[in-house]
Amino acid sequence: MSNSIFELKDVRFTYLGKFPALCGIDLIVSKGEKIAVVGANGSGKSTLLHLLDGLIFPDKGTIRAFGQELKEGVFNDESFSRDFRKKVGLVFQNPEVQLFCPTVKEDVVFGPLQLGMAKATIAKRLEGLIAVLGIKDLLDRSPHQLSIGEKRKVAIASTLIIDSDVLLLDEPTAGLDPLTTRHIVDLLIQEHKSGKTIIVSTHDLHIVEELADTVYVVSQEKQIVKSGKPQEILEDFQLLQAHNLIHIHRHTHDDTIHTHPHLHTEHH
Amino acid sequence: MARVNNFIERSLVGALSFLKEGIFADEFAARHGFLQSLAPQIKAITTLVFIILVLFAKSIFFIACLYLQCLLLALLSKVRLGFFLKRTWIFMPLFALFIAVPAIFSVFTPGEPLLHFEVIGFTFIITRQGILGAGLFISRVITSVSYATLLSLTTKHFVLLRVLRVFKIPQVFVMVIGMCYRYIYLFMEVIENTYIAIKSRVGVRVRYAQGQHIVAWNIAQLWQRSYQLNEDVYKAMLSRGYSGEPVILNDFKTNKRDWFWLCYTLTLAIVAFYFTYWMR
Ligand SMILES: Nc1ncnc2c1ncn2[C@@H]1O[C@H](COP(=O)(O)OP(=O)(O)OP(=O)(O)O)[C@@H](O)[C@H]1O
Ligand SMILES: [Mg+2]
Repeated sequence: MSNSIFELKDVRFTYLGKFPALCGIDLIVSKGEKIAVVGANGSGKSTLLHLLDGLIFPDKGTIRAFGQELKEGVFNDESFSRDFRKKVGLVFQNPEVQLFCPTVKEDVVFGPLQLGMAKATIAKRLEGLIAVLGIKDLLDRSPHQLSIGEKRKVAIASTLIIDSDVLLLDEPTAGLDPLTTRHIVDLLIQEHKSGKTIIVSTHDLHIVEELADTVYVVSQEKQIVKSGKPQEILEDFQLLQAHNLIHIHRHTHDDTIHTHPHLHTEHH
Repeated sequence: MARVNNFIERSLVGALSFLKEGIFADEFAARHGFLQSLAPQIKAITTLVFIILVLFAKSIFFIACLYLQCLLLALLSKVRLGFFLKRTWIFMPLFALFIAVPAIFSVFTPGEPLLHFEVIGFTFIITRQGILGAGLFISRVITSVSYATLLSLTTKHFVLLRVLRVFKIPQVFVMVIGMCYRYIYLFMEVIENTYIAIKSRVGVRVRYAQGQHIVAWNIAQLWQRSYQLNEDVYKAMLSRGYSGEPVILNDFKTNKRDWFWLCYTLTLAIVAFYFTYWMR
């Protein structure tokens, strides 16, 4: 039991008391796992990640992180709060929200500064991250002047710099060009190899195979309908189609109309 | 109706782009000139000293010298002079009309008459003291405005904000201003994009009533959005370890040039005060 990081039991969450976002999630995440959460728009992926990051709390059911139950109030304990924030990092789906400082540089170092990381360590990690993500030229610019893809890279940097044990990423590759996507995937794989637990939500089935040992499919009913190895899930066309993850592709070969499900795992 | 809309459109889009250019443009701040090379806190302090000097100076000649120095600094900092003059003189007619012009007349500033004329039975007398006073006033305003403008043109705004902390203004406050600044931009972008989106769907000619409806809806939307954004940003801050007291990077570095400039400014100030207040 000692190496389980998150334990969710029948977790339910509703926004403003009337918009259901999670309807009974059971999930166990162990240390060092790579997990992908896939599902249609509005199926509750972001909500789930916010819950895991201790930003919102379940209406019903329980969520435990590192053996401690997460509920309203536990974050009032300063040392627990700091410890948790050091251990768990979240990249938000909307980088606009995550970047609130006047410059990119201040934004990237915001987390470690709050968490009391040593100045020298911050500088060193910053150096490494800007090299990997290629954001050196952006450091003195304002986040609002960046393109969406650049914002996303900065948002990822601002979370990775904390060097947390658990990384939660909400659609980290949405809006990124293929090469940058590649860099990010490589970066995450490397982080995983160094012992981190990674949970990504995504629509991008390309990256699922590499980024996950286990895939969870969330339905429009806001429940986990299937989980398994990536290959298993990716071969289940019916399942994927039912959850808006593939679409039927129709094109013409020599005057005959040809229809097949279009799975976005390889380029063609 | 089309004309009304046109006016609204022009003024809305115009105001937005003016704001964006005026407040958010860092064009001059990014150039490599003299003021840009100074450490921001030194620059802010020296600017403040110059403005105080101007406000307490009693000789128009001295103020004129300070003004020339300001123009020289602008040139050395690669700020286009035409642009700079336009920027700083734009509000002068207003000042002149309401404050300086009345002051030249004997009713407000009694003294030695220079010129008098009659309008519908009233005699107006322009006095020497009046002219002097008005001149002093205008030169003070224009010079201090010029220094302030020069500072804001040659310094990136977020840096200026961080300078506030040097003056011991609480970090939370500075951070909140910084965030407002940042998100105002976002909202302007939202308004602009919504406007373009509406135009692309509805066509160029939006009927007046419809236009009003759209504007009202937009304001409601904006309110909703800002509320949501507020909550989300707070979550993003919490997620990265924010606990009520922000810790912000402080990496201002000073070099010899900064200290030289500071010494020059302070010496000038001391000499000027000595001559103005103690010599007589
Ligand atoms: N702030 C909110 N207020 C009310 N309802 C919300 C709010 N945020 C999300 N919801 C609702 O909760 C449900 C789950 O939303 P969530 O953002 O978690 O979905 P998602 O899977 O991340 O979707 P996407 O793929 O579009 O990012 C949706 O039905 C949505 O309408
Ligand atoms: Mg989402």
